[in-house]
Amino acid sequence: MSADPHNPRTDRAGLAGTAFALARTRVGAGARAAARAVTNGLLRAWERRPRPGRAIAILFLATIAALGARGVAFQPRVASDLPSERDWTALRALVERDARPGDAIVLAPPWAERARAILPSVPALPSLAAGEDLYGVRRVWLVALPDAPGFSYAPELALLARGALSDAPQRLGAIAVTRHALHAPALPLAFLPDRIAQAEVTLEGAPCAAAAGGFRCAGGAEVVRSVRDVGGVPRPCLSVELRGAAGPLHVAFPGVPLGRAVRIHAGAAAARASGPVRITVGLDGAEIGAADVALAGFAPLEVDTPAEAGRFHTVELTIRAAPDVGPLCLDAAVLP
Amino acid sequence: MTARALVSAPRALAAAAALATFVVLASLAGGPGVSRDEGRIVAAAIGDATGASAPARPEPPLAARVAAAGHAIGARAGLSHVRALRLGSAAMGALASALLALLGHAAAGGAGALLSLGLFWLAPRALHAGLVATPDLAAAALALAVVWAWRRALLAARGRAAAGALAGALFGALLALRLDAWTLAVALALHAASAPRLRARAPAPLAAIALGGPALLFALWPWLLGDPLHRLAAALGRAPGAPRGLAPLATAALTVPAGLLAAYAGGALHAIARRFRAARAPGDAPAADDDLLLLLAALAPLAAAAAGLAPGGGARAVLPALPFLALLGARAILAAASAAWPARQGALTASVALLALYPGLRAAVHAFPTGASTWSELAGGAPGAASLGLPRQDGGEASAAAAAAVSAHAVPGARIWWPRAAPAAARLLALDGRLRPDLAVADDPETADVVVVPLDGGGADRDDEYRAWAALRTARPEAGIYLDEVPLAFVYARAGAWR
Repeated sequence: MSADPHNPRTDRAGLAGTAFALARTRVGAGARAAARAVTNGLLRAWERRPRPGRAIAILFLATIAALGARGVAFQPRVASDLPSERDWTALRALVERDARPGDAIVLAPPWAERARAILPSVPALPSLAAGEDLYGVRRVWLVALPDAPGFSYAPELALLARGALSDAPQRLGAIAVTRHALHAPALPLAFLPDRIAQAEVTLEGAPCAAAAGGFRCAGGAEVVRSVRDVGGVPRPCLSVELRGAAGPLHVAFPGVPLGRAVRIHAGAAAARASGPVRITVGLDGAEIGAADVALAGFAPLEVDTPAEAGRFHTVELTIRAAPDVGPLCLDAAVLP
Repeated sequence: MTARALVSAPRALAAAAALATFVVLASLAGGPGVSRDEGRIVAAAIGDATGASAPARPEPPLAARVAAAGHAIGARAGLSHVRALRLGSAAMGALASALLALLGHAAAGGAGALLSLGLFWLAPRALHAGLVATPDLAAAALALAVVWAWRRALLAARGRAAAGALAGALFGALLALRLDAWTLAVALALHAASAPRLRARAPAPLAAIALGGPALLFALWPWLLGDPLHRLAAALGRAPGAPRGLAPLATAALTVPAGLLAAYAGGALHAIARRFRAARAPGDAPAADDDLLLLLAALAPLAAAAAGLAPGGGARAVLPALPFLALLGARAILAAASAAWPARQGALTASVALLALYPGLRAAVHAFPTGASTWSELAGGAPGAASLGLPRQDGGEASAAAAAAVSAHAVPGARIWWPRAAPAAARLLALDGRLRPDLAVADDPETADVVVVPLDGGGADRDDEYRAWAALRTARPEAGIYLDEVPLAFVYARAGAWR
């Protein structure tokens, strides 16, 4: 069948078909020639291939040279991926301008701790792990070095998992700053370690003497407001050391405003204590809860007090442990 | 003597390498801070072990005696105390260089000697070990010396008996530095058993090592005589908490620049290949025997590290293997260049060597004086290693780098607390004038005005630092020591104590 010469559509199809056939012929010939050339080249290269020993030698030297070249390029690249003095200064200016009470910073990677020196007015959060209580924090500044070796998005994901609303990230050279407003900030009515100065402490029934930051008891036992390493995280807490005393150690905090619950954490300071430890919680002399805490991590213990919400009571913590238990880190917060 | 003539004369080259090494190490030795492990050694050397941390297990005494000898000579010559205490390490480094040059020359000529020196010293941790008084570099030097004497005892035309006796004495000294070096005796026994012609000559030097080594160890360390079996078992056993298995080897591998690591691995594989080839071509046997000796001597410290017997873990544990791996690597590079492009062997070797060695040189210069904080590009440098949770230093030595800031900014009469640092380190800083004389040492954060906290990393707790936050009522560092933005030490100060 041939194209109708009076029909423009069949005429166009005929021209296109001719052009396609011509192109196919030429491209096909070119491709066949190129494939033949490549095949011949590979065959020639294969025929002239080095002996296995020489090939291994070339491979060995090429590996050293390639790794060496990568090493030569590595150090300047690391320097350019890390923040400069100017980047840190820009971060300081930004945070000083926009920071509010209730703000905290999180560092990614966590070793980027120069930020703590640069931003003294904003506390640094050491952990965003699920279940971690971020007492008093309403907004988190994520200070990230996204090009640094070992950078991970884990803190960002942890914040998103908490339902935080995030602003767009701001880039300050090698630093990326993102603000996250926490969906449900934990704002305790009272953090009992901060009330240690008003507390009464007894060990085995004998009163302990007030001392700097806490109380000293007979035999060297002490309860002081401190910050201790529990599981690699700095924990503001009451540092409790029985130092051979059999206990119990009794700490009473008068005039504490109560809410729906009292949440207590206990852990081994610097991994030098081993449990279990029995913690009893009382209100005005009446026991309202008790638990044996294993000291693995920073174990929580929560005692519900909804009936007492809005009232003021003396909250009592009683600690019973083996005399050689080691240093403990104990915190307690009243949840609204 | 021209440079070409020097390179072609092994003894002259060895002497030149030793002299150059001693000058470089002695001139740089004042820089690095004193780690906790080194602190125990220098405290024993200067007879003041007040407050020194107890070792995880009993430690042999020779490192302290080497440091004491260096101190006696150096202090008389007017050197600073820290530099004088490390003169012994510089001397041991010179010995290592001389032996590397001799063995490298014997294996692959002048180029082999030069390349061996580069492949060993430009591993940044090897250079750092030469700048401090820990026993690791001295152990590497004496392991080389034992192998050199053993080789002479088996192969020399004359003087074999004297060489065998020397091997035994050197092995005893080596044990008095690091007890995990007993694995070298196993390596030498395996070498002796590997070929009939070696088996015939091996009994005498092997007996010298098996009997003379322990005898000298007991002579140098009389403490063992009190209850030999139990005390030796305690000193030989695994250090509590020491890593074992592949972990210490992988950690050590991440401290070596990748180019050097490839050269070491290629050298080991080349030695194994030559050994198999020698089984078919008897003419290659002597050289293959040499390679096997170096390979076994390299494997011995690696085995001790994998078993958790070596002190220090990671890079320090495997350091005595590095000179042997450097020798094997140099030989492999030269053989590969010869096979790859015979007409341009020299140029090819020089090019590859330059690419392999430069990253290590740059890393060592960049990190000085905190050389124990360097990590290779495989780990991502110091930042990558910190992200992986690897140790940031050997043990508190970065505190010394903060001394200048403390002297410049602490108020007169301020009391400084140095947690996690060797007590001897603070005393030496004051003795050497690197710390103002009016500054006192505090016993705890509650009585301190300024706290200098090293950050060891590697999972070590930071309880001392956090206690300092509470005691000084601040979590803001006034100064910091950083390597590629990774903090190695922080300085905190009470309000009004920092100008």
